[in-house]
Parts: sequence; structure tokens; C-alpha cells
Amino acid sequence: MGDASRRAFLRQLLAALAVASPAGAVGLGGTGASGAPALHGLTRKGRAITGGFADTDQAVGHALRDGRIPAIGAVATRRARVAIVGGGVSGLSAGWHLDALGLRDWLLLELAPEAGGNARGGRNAVSAYPWGAHYLPLPAPDAVHVRALLREVGVLHADGRFDERTLCHAPQERIFQHGTWHEGLEPLDAAPAWELAEWERFDAQVAAWRESGAFRVPLAGAPFGGSAARETHALDAITADVWLRANGYRSPTLRWWLEYGTRDDYGASLTQVSAWAAAHYFAGRPADEGGPLTWPEGNAFLVRHLTRRAGDRLMHSAPTVRLERVGTRWRVHTPRAVVECDAVIWAAPLFVLPRVLPGVALPVTTEYAPWVVANLTLDRRPRERGAPPAWDNVLYGSASLGYVSATHQSVAQPRDATVWTWYHAVVDRPARDARAWLEQRPWSGWRDEILADLARAHPDVAECVTRLDVWRWGHAMARPVPGLLARTASLDEWRPAPGVLVANADVSGFSIFEEAQWQGVRAAERAARLIGGG
Amino acid sequence: MNAALFATVCLIAACGLIYELVAGALASYVLGDSVTQFSTVIGTYLFAMGIGSWLSRFIVRGVVTRFVMIELVVGIVGGFSALLLFLTFTWTSAFRPVLYGVVTLIGILVGLEIPLLMRILRDRFSFKDVVANVLTFDYVGALGASLLFPLFLVPRLGLVRSALAFGLVNVLVAFWSTHLFRDELPNRRWWQGASLLSALVLAIGLWKGQAITTLAEEGLYADPVILARDTRYQRIVLTSWKDDLRLYLNGHLQFASRDEYRYHEALVHPGLAALPRAQRVLVLGGGDGLAVREILKHPGVQEVTLVDLDEGMTSLFATHERLTPLNDGALRDPRVRVINADAFVWLDQHEGRFDFIVIDFPDPSNYHVGKLYTSAFYRLVRQHLADDGFLAVQATSPLFARQSYWSIVATLQGAGLRTFPYHVYVPSFGEWGFVIAGTVPYQPPHTLPDGLRYLTVEGVPALFDFPADMQPVPAEPNRLNDQVLVRYYEREWAAINR
Repeated sequence: MGDASRRAFLRQLLAALAVASPAGAVGLGGTGASGAPALHGLTRKGRAITGGFADTDQAVGHALRDGRIPAIGAVATRRARVAIVGGGVSGLSAGWHLDALGLRDWLLLELAPEAGGNARGGRNAVSAYPWGAHYLPLPAPDAVHVRALLREVGVLHADGRFDERTLCHAPQERIFQHGTWHEGLEPLDAAPAWELAEWERFDAQVAAWRESGAFRVPLAGAPFGGSAARETHALDAITADVWLRANGYRSPTLRWWLEYGTRDDYGASLTQVSAWAAAHYFAGRPADEGGPLTWPEGNAFLVRHLTRRAGDRLMHSAPTVRLERVGTRWRVHTPRAVVECDAVIWAAPLFVLPRVLPGVALPVTTEYAPWVVANLTLDRRPRERGAPPAWDNVLYGSASLGYVSATHQSVAQPRDATVWTWYHAVVDRPARDARAWLEQRPWSGWRDEILADLARAHPDVAECVTRLDVWRWGHAMARPVPGLLARTASLDEWRPAPGVLVANADVSGFSIFEEAQWQGVRAAERAARLIGGG
Repeated sequence: MNAALFATVCLIAACGLIYELVAGALASYVLGDSVTQFSTVIGTYLFAMGIGSWLSRFIVRGVVTRFVMIELVVGIVGGFSALLLFLTFTWTSAFRPVLYGVVTLIGILVGLEIPLLMRILRDRFSFKDVVANVLTFDYVGALGASLLFPLFLVPRLGLVRSALAFGLVNVLVAFWSTHLFRDELPNRRWWQGASLLSALVLAIGLWKGQAITTLAEEGLYADPVILARDTRYQRIVLTSWKDDLRLYLNGHLQFASRDEYRYHEALVHPGLAALPRAQRVLVLGGGDGLAVREILKHPGVQEVTLVDLDEGMTSLFATHERLTPLNDGALRDPRVRVINADAFVWLDQHEGRFDFIVIDFPDPSNYHVGKLYTSAFYRLVRQHLADDGFLAVQATSPLFARQSYWSIVATLQGAGLRTFPYHVYVPSFGEWGFVIAGTVPYQPPHTLPDGLRYLTVEGVPALFDFPADMQPVPAEPNRLNDQVLVRYYEREWAAINR
């Protein structure tokens, strides 16, 4: 730092120090100019932080599991050609596509008070914010359904241009390493030459994979035959960790960065994730995507559009407790209504299906990744140093995935208050143990862990947070472990029962918007064929 | 009596440690690298204390007098040390010599304190009790100070006033000593007077701490500061030298009253005079009202809407006696409506079209201001522009920040606008650039309003001529998702600023 800017800094400092207010120390860190260990004690006293658990479906899900919801009550009967069970992205997309096929007579049954699945969002006085999925990579030209939806919501213009205000604003990402923020996500501050060489080798590998055309989004578009495909399919027999060791990758920064990616997209560590799925994460999309698309509330923006289109055909707070075959038709039982229909699209998680359709055996097992998402409301910006605040703020070496700023997409000049969404995929223990742990751990445990995690980069964060809410996702997403491709193949044509179609990202084996939408669209097409169009 | 004596030890130990911590923390703030600063300050300080202890042998007579004197000097030097160091940093380039000089001086004086005090107490207690008690309370005082400093003093008082407060403690110890050791102190009245005077000086320092620190701020500006105000968004500083008033926002010069007419005439008239039927004008930014002053020279204009984020800025320029003459009271003109809102948000939320739109934002020096220079913003502005209207944008310097300037031009073009770049020389700024943009062709005006000091009808077309060193260079448009302009700007101005 030159003397000129030190002088400018000093000017703020003088103002801050002279005003003997409790916030007097705030001006110090805001400039990021000093990192004196002595500063850590200079903060005002900690304050009470309100908040709690925001997840509500768990209780309903567990009641369903334990048979505590009466299977059949004296409720109204409704009729529809198609009943869709589950109002996540795949269920909403199934309805959306049925409409496109001219088949408007459908009902969607959602367990929670609000549709959206893991793409839900919330809102408070400061900002809207996501509770789960929060961005959409720019779709390739052949991702026709994603593009159709984006045209519908006005994000993709007729001339092929994406709406500038929806594209993630600059600066998009930064990483905290060696005590300061750096632009970009790659933890390469002061990386030695041998590590950089490994990074380059990995880049070349990704380019080759991409070139092969074997990795596509959605998965269904990828060629399954051909030598390139066969070669990459071998990757699906091993974990990413095994592949990395076999190929001599030892760089700790590269390994951390790769695992950041697999935790972020798949909720899986390198020792859990299929090497094929890991490669897919890096090679499945064009290199220079210029995106992603994001909204303050994350993908809940898209969910809201689909929910609006569903209108009163969406029945919320209606957990499906039983599917009953009646002649050639089906009865879908919920505490709110019984729906009689010709076909059922099962768009809820696969593991729930055997509980409501006795006798059905799933052809595959699915490992579900537990996640924790927290929304922190801040009434002022905490201290930090280095690169300016970005949309995605990642802490190198942390078990968390860092935080996303919900106010980043605002075009207004920055205000003091903001909302941060903190993400954490629990990968450090078996999924079942992790879920048990999620159920027991009190909110205060999360509060302390989250604040300690963020305090590495923002020493006074605890004094800036007024509210901290936590959402525990026991079954956030299917985890793509080795054997993914065989698993997907065996589900591809699977029918749980005549007239019942499955549509969920669980079928693809990994939970991204494009897969969920594709499964919904495909199930809609199959349902339309089954019952003879609209 | 004993308790009082050892409380004195405790207090002077605390004072000594506080001065050391103040010097270390202050050096860390202004120079960075806190490990080095604290290490060297502590080392220097301890060594100086050693010198003080050694020097104490040369004080043979009048030990109590010397002790009281040392307390007073430590109180004044230590008390004002933080202020002195701040002022030294802002005004001189001799910060380090002064830092180590002050630390050495305080260290020597503090090093003298304990040996002298032990000698004073020698006759009252056994030697082993003196050593044990004095050192015990010395360390207790040090602990208290080291806890008090980060937890209370700095957050509540700040460095400057913490040092002053403890200077006051030293002086009060001196005053107290004149009572404790009254039998061994000649000229007792005189020392009491000196103590009270010193206390008064320090108390004034404490009281006027803020005013004194703004004195330090003046060192940052070339001219005397006549007004400094923190608003919600920025720090406004007004300096004055003879008849020249200068406005700084967050330390950046916004205008000098001596030549701002060149800037504001050039910003407004080439575009507005080319629109003889213009009635509705929008100004985005420009809370100083100087662009509005120029706009109101056009008799056809019926309505001017000024949208500026900072209420503190617009109310200052609507009411302050030194500032309203600059804009001729433009912000209180009945034709003018002042709206304090975020320009991007306001345009989003309001309908309505304007014949002429002036965009006068601070330079795109960060990603936040940069949003107001993006194609998304200009597209939005375009929706508020009458079909045959124009907008005029301040676009930084095409000479000092050439690629930045042409990036702004490219951004306007990317938003589907035709662009007509021009520039003007403003002595206090240097060569400065603007862009007229619209959807129809632009022709320089045939007439200009009365009362202009710089522009002439013949001179306007010449503004659109760019000498070789300012001609277009390849530049990307600035977009919300890729703010190239902020990067260009940072690189280009970094190359110029020393």
C-alpha cells in the first residue's frame, strides 16, 4: 500500500477513532488496510442473535415414515387425468410440460406448505434469499427445455442474449486464503510450481473430456455408445479419489478445489463421488460460460414462475400417504383430498415411494447427501481484507462451502444490511449417521460453528449478525457414487406399476436443475403417450 | 498511606504500558505489518526504560521533585503522543524517526519512575518489602492496562483519547504525589499549579479530541478545510483558498469553483442546446446542483428532476451559505424537483420520459459505482429518453484513462445508442471526456443560452475532435456480469497516481 492510500485510510481512521462510539473500531477493518492481531480485541461486545430451525417438512416426512398420518380420511375426491406427486423442480416441470403438450387436466400434490423442493427460498425485510439451489449455469444451445423456460420468464431474449441483470454480477467469486480475500475461486496464492503444473495437467484433462462429447447436461443427451463414451464410462467404476491417486495428482490445493466442486454440486467428498460424476461436473458445460444466472432468492425465482403457472392445480400441504390402484385408474390419497387419475407422475424422492405404494421394490439404492443451509441477516458489513465482496465467497480449507450474498444481484448502491446464505454439505460421516446428528444438534451448535467459520475471514461477524436461521436437509440430493451410469440405465425404463412414472433428479442420480427439469419433461411426455394426449 | 503509595505504582505502570500499546497500534494502523511495528516499538521502549533506569543513578538530590516532574512530562508527552504521531504522519514524511523518538523519550521517563519511587519508599519500608510490593503492583498495573486497552479504551475512546486520558492519570499522580510526599517537596505550591495546568491542557485535548483530529485531516488537503461532514454514503469536505472552493467526496476532488464552469457548461450545453424544444430534463447524480444551474439557463426547460443518492449532499448545496452562490440557488428553483434515491432503482420504479438526461456520477472506481456505467443501466436510461432526446454522460478522462473512456462509449453503443464523444480541458482536472448519446443523429447547436463563460457556438464542434493521443482504442463494453471498466480504470489511474 502506497503512502497516498495510507493517508486516505488514515483520514477514515482518524474519524473512526475520534468518534468514541461503540462502533469506533468499525472503520478500521472496513478498509481492509490493517491486519494487526491487536485489532481482534477491539470490537464491541457480542450481541444476541435470534433464529432457529426453518425446516418444516421434516416433521411431516417423519410422521409419514412412522405412519402417523391417517391414510384415508373423509375428504373430498377430485379427478384429474394426471396426478403429480411432489412439487419440486421435476414435478413442477412435469406440469409445465403437460401444459405445453396441451394436457392441462393435472393436479400437483405437494407435502410442504410451499412448492419448490430444494429450490425454495425465503424473504425478510432486507432481501429475498435461497434455502437451497441458488443458480443456473447458462444452458447450452441444445438444452431446449431450460431455454424455453428462460424465454418464458424473460431471462433469455429473442436475440439469444441473456438478461444482463440476471447474469451473476461482477465480481462473481473470491476465495479467502492466507488471511486475505483473493479474486476467483482457485486457491493459488503463493502456490509452488509443481502444484501449478498439476493444475495445468488437470485443465488439459478437462479440455480433452469436454472435447470427447461424452459429458452432457442433461445426462440423457450424452452418447452412451462410442469409444470415447466407453472410455469415460470406466471412470464410473471408481471414486474421484482413486482416479486422482492413480493419475498422480497430489497437489493439496487442486484436491481441495476439486472436492469443493463435488461437495458443492453433489454433496459428496472425493472419496464418495464417482470419478465419472466428478469429471462430468467439470467437463459437462462449455469452458467459458459467462454465467451463471442467479437471483436474490436463487432458483426459487424459477419455482415461483412455475408455481404461478400451476395456479390452483397445485395443492400444497398435501402429503401423499398412499397410491391405490382402482381398476385401470389410480387413487392418490392425501389428508386434504383423494385424487382419482389415469396416471401418476412420482416426482418426490424415490426412497419415499415404497412407503406409499406397498409391494414396490426399488431397482436401485440411492445414497442421499445431507445438507445444512443457513441464512444470516446482517445489519452491517463485517471487517475484511483483500478482494472486494463477491457473490460467492469461499473459505479455503473450510468444511463449509462459504456463503453467497443475497443482495449481490441488487443494482442499488450497497446498503449496510444484507443476507448471507451459508452452505454446508455434510460429507465427513456416513449419511445415516449424519442425519441422526442433524436431528440432535441444537441450533446453538450451528450458530457457533457458522460464526466461527465466517470469523476466519470476518473477525467481527458475530457483531453484525442479527438473525441466523438454519435449514437441515436430511435428504438434500441423490449422491452420485460409483455405479451411477448403471444405476441410471436400470431406472431409465423402470415403471413402479402400470400408469406410474418416476420423475425426479434421483433418477438421474445427481440433483441439478437441468436434470430435475428433464426428468419432469420426460415423464410428462410418457404420461401423455400413456393416456393418449390432451 | 501504604495503599495510596502502591496504587500510585499500579497507575504509573498502567500508564507506561498504555503509551507503548498506543504507539504500537498506531504504527500498525498507518504502516501495516503489525508484527514488525509491535516488535520494534516494544523493543525500543524496553531498551529506553533500561536507559532511564541507568540514568536514575545520576539523580542524587531532590528525588521527589524529580519524580513529580517526570510524572508531569510523561503525562504531557505520553498523553499527546498519539495525536502527535497522527499529525506527523499526515503532515510530514518523518513518521518513523518521530515514532521511535517519542517511544524512546517516554521509555526513558517511565524507566526513571520505578527506581526513583523505590528510592523514595526506601526509608519507609524494609528493602525486601519495597522490591516485592513495587514490582507486584507494577505487574498488576500492566495486566490491567493490557486488558483495558483492547476491550475498553480503543473501542470506546479511540487511540488519541486513550493516550490523553492516561496522560491525565500521570498528571493526577503528580498532583497526588505533591500531597503524599509533601514533607520532602520544596516549592510544593508551584508543583501543584504545574500539575493543574497540565491537567487542564490534557482535559482540553480530551474534550477537543475530534476537532484536533480534523486538523490532522487538513494535512490531506492542499487548502484549509472549511467544512467536513459525514453523510450516510460519503465524507464531504470543502476546502477554501482565496476565492477557490473545492469539494472532495471521500477524498476525491469533485470540482474547483475556479474552473468548474468549464466542466458543467461542457456537460450540459452541447447536448441540451441541440434540443431547442426540450422541456423535461433529468439529472442523475450531480447533487451539487451545478449541472442544474446550467440547465436552468435554457428558458424552454420547464421541469428538472435531480436524482441523487445522498440527501446530505443535496441539502448542503440547497442551504449552505458558501455553496448556494455556486449553483445560484438552483436546487431551490421552483422548476427543480430533488429526489434522494438510488438512480438505478429510481429508474426501475418510475415511468416517464425526458428530453435530456445528464448522467454525472463519480468515476467508476469500484464495482458498486461501476454498475451505473453498464449496458444494463444505459438500456434502462434509454427507456426514459424521449425518442429524439439525448443523454450526456461524464466519462472520465480520455487522456489519463483512455481505454476507460472508450469503454464507456462502447457500453453506450452496446445499449443500442448512437454515441457522440467529446472532451474539454478543465485545469483542475486535466483533459476531461463526455459522451452525448441518443437514437437520432446529433448536430451541434446553432445557438447557446446567454451567460456562458466558456462555450461558444463556434467552439462546440471543435470539442468533438480528438487529438491523436486521445483517439479511440479497442475497449470492451462494461456489463454487470463482467465489469471490464472497473479494471481498465484501476489499471489506468494506478499508472498515473504516484
